[in-house]
Amino acid sequence: MSDDPGDGRFPEQHVRTLDRVLDEIIPPSEDGRLPGAGEIGLVQHIEAALRPMPELRVMIEQSLAALDDLARQRHDRPFAALAKAERAALVKELESTHHALPPILTMYVYTGYYMHPRVLETLGLEARPPHPKGFDMPPNDLSLLDPVRARGKRYRD
Amino acid sequence: MADDPVDVLIIGAGAAGAAFAWSLADTRMQILCLEQGDWMDPAQYPGARSDWESRQLSDFGLSPNMRGRREDYPVNDSNSPIAASMFSAVGGSTILYAAHFPRFHPSDFRTRTLDGVGDDWPLDYQRLAPYYDVNAHMMGVSGLGGDPAYPTKEVPLPPVALGKLGETLARGFNTLGWHWWPSDSAITTREHEGRAPCVNAGTCLLGCPQGAKASTDITYWPPALRQGVTLKTRCRVREITVGATGMADGVIYYDRDGVEQRQRAHVVVVACNGIGTPRLLLNSRSSQFPDGLANRSGLVGKNLMFHPYAMVTGVFDEPLEGYKGPTGCCIMSQEFYESDPARGFVRGYSFEILRGFGPVSTALWGMSVGRVPSGADHHRAYADLFDRTAGMVVICEDLPEPENCVTIDPHLTDSDGIPAPKVTYRLSDNSTKMLAHSVARGCEVLQAAGATDTEVASPLPFAGWHLMGTARMGTDPERSVVNEWGRCHDVRNLFIIDGSIFVTAAAVNPTNTIQALALHIADTMKRNLANLFD
Repeated sequence: MSDDPGDGRFPEQHVRTLDRVLDEIIPPSEDGRLPGAGEIGLVQHIEAALRPMPELRVMIEQSLAALDDLARQRHDRPFAALAKAERAALVKELESTHHALPPILTMYVYTGYYMHPRVLETLGLEARPPHPKGFDMPPNDLSLLDPVRARGKRYRD
Repeated sequence: MADDPVDVLIIGAGAAGAAFAWSLADTRMQILCLEQGDWMDPAQYPGARSDWESRQLSDFGLSPNMRGRREDYPVNDSNSPIAASMFSAVGGSTILYAAHFPRFHPSDFRTRTLDGVGDDWPLDYQRLAPYYDVNAHMMGVSGLGGDPAYPTKEVPLPPVALGKLGETLARGFNTLGWHWWPSDSAITTREHEGRAPCVNAGTCLLGCPQGAKASTDITYWPPALRQGVTLKTRCRVREITVGATGMADGVIYYDRDGVEQRQRAHVVVVACNGIGTPRLLLNSRSSQFPDGLANRSGLVGKNLMFHPYAMVTGVFDEPLEGYKGPTGCCIMSQEFYESDPARGFVRGYSFEILRGFGPVSTALWGMSVGRVPSGADHHRAYADLFDRTAGMVVICEDLPEPENCVTIDPHLTDSDGIPAPKVTYRLSDNSTKMLAHSVARGCEVLQAAGATDTEVASPLPFAGWHLMGTARMGTDPERSVVNEWGRCHDVRNLFIIDGSIFVTAAAVNPTNTIQALALHIADTMKRNLANLFD
């Protein structure tokens, strides 16, 4: 696209729209403990995930542009400036057009969201890679095998 | 001199090639292994990085078709409900496997005699048992002796942690009076031969940065190299060549710069597994072997066996700490392993209990089964699933059928331009009935363990991990490709040592048996060196 900043990044006007779209995919939790997906800087994660698939990034940009056009037609404002209920209605309206947001976008949003330190800590997890610390686990209770042993041989010679 | 032949040329440095090279090294013959992949750096495995879960969607994904690595070769599996999965590197598919390490059972070698299906193997369990024992030590197998589903066997290390999830499922099996046992796992649970014990990180399928999971780059290869075996990486063999006498005389391969090279050899050993091996043989056509090397029987590429898998996932009310522990290894059940005519199918299946999902996998799995929507209900739905799932897979025995096969794709090639394999596969009626039986029993045991709901995926479309049967062994040259010690009937200095020589598939993971066979073949060659080609 003409205003593509290159390196697989979204143009600035699409970043603002995308941030709001991300909040439609994963909104903040009602108790306020978990952030919306648009609050935690997932755009870079999505750009990186789409880098090997430029055609998919173009599809998403077309969807974002269509959302912005709809917003201006219906409310005379850009999508990012709309109230939450207005945004939700437009995303739903877009679903019935050929510019619907591709479902794979949701997959990348889920992936980035549930790797984010703030989200992991709110879920009660340590925000760290599994290795090298790993996880402590309790010793095995092998007395559970007593009834299995009692039943005897189970194979054919 | 560069054109001098080596004594033994091994193609492929995975599970079989590594074990074979190590065993043969004490002969002090000149042994060279060519591997199309490279050495992996365990420090770079995703388990030590914050983005570890997302890497299963990209460069550490299951399918070579999606990873985009130059070292992998593509597979046309569009004509199969099960997608093939393999990995090209030193260590081969053991880099990414779950390390579930059961043996075959005595009955698995005699399916024709016992059940009237498949064929009997030209060797039996007792013949392989000493090699299973050697392999248990070399790979570092953990588990527990005394399993009533097996003859007495050696298990060097104590079992992996079962955890709350494993013990919850174990109680479910006990409620129904069904067999279960801690899984035999090629995962060190205490220090073993310089390898550190498992820390329950749960990233086994992305490579093990701890070195606790036994991939052959860290088990067989270091001692094999110390004994003088030469291993050349990023060398992709295009074809095996034959001389005027009809014996194999070497290979043509592409080096890491894509330059064609020639290597001569007195003995050629193929260890590329159930898809790579028939691909190489079928690509090795000559005037003497117009239908592919060692293929006078017409059986090269035929009788491809996957294991049809199903996955049954239970949803529980309580947290199960399922993101802790080895990903694929916990407990297994062989309650329905041996044939029972009352079930409406022959042969049987294993249950293998997996762990739960990590944070990302919970979201993606929940999305795929319609349980975690986007929008207002997202957080409630996610909270209902995270750390509240327990998965199990069913491994059904596949039976050999010539229609299930590997051929050469007329258009697809790898990054060196070598024609790629095409898989043609369909589920048999027996497999379909077995899958239906197994998922019903799987749901039953999950509910007995306390699951409030279950989800079923059957067959599991991405589960083509086990590649067997495409160059079967036997005593009759009309009905098999290799003899009982891996030597090709048609080419007496050509050996095959991988899963392609399986006669039947059993209903357990094949790597332990692949390696036991490779060790058996190496040992038999050593005892017959004086008359190897007679």
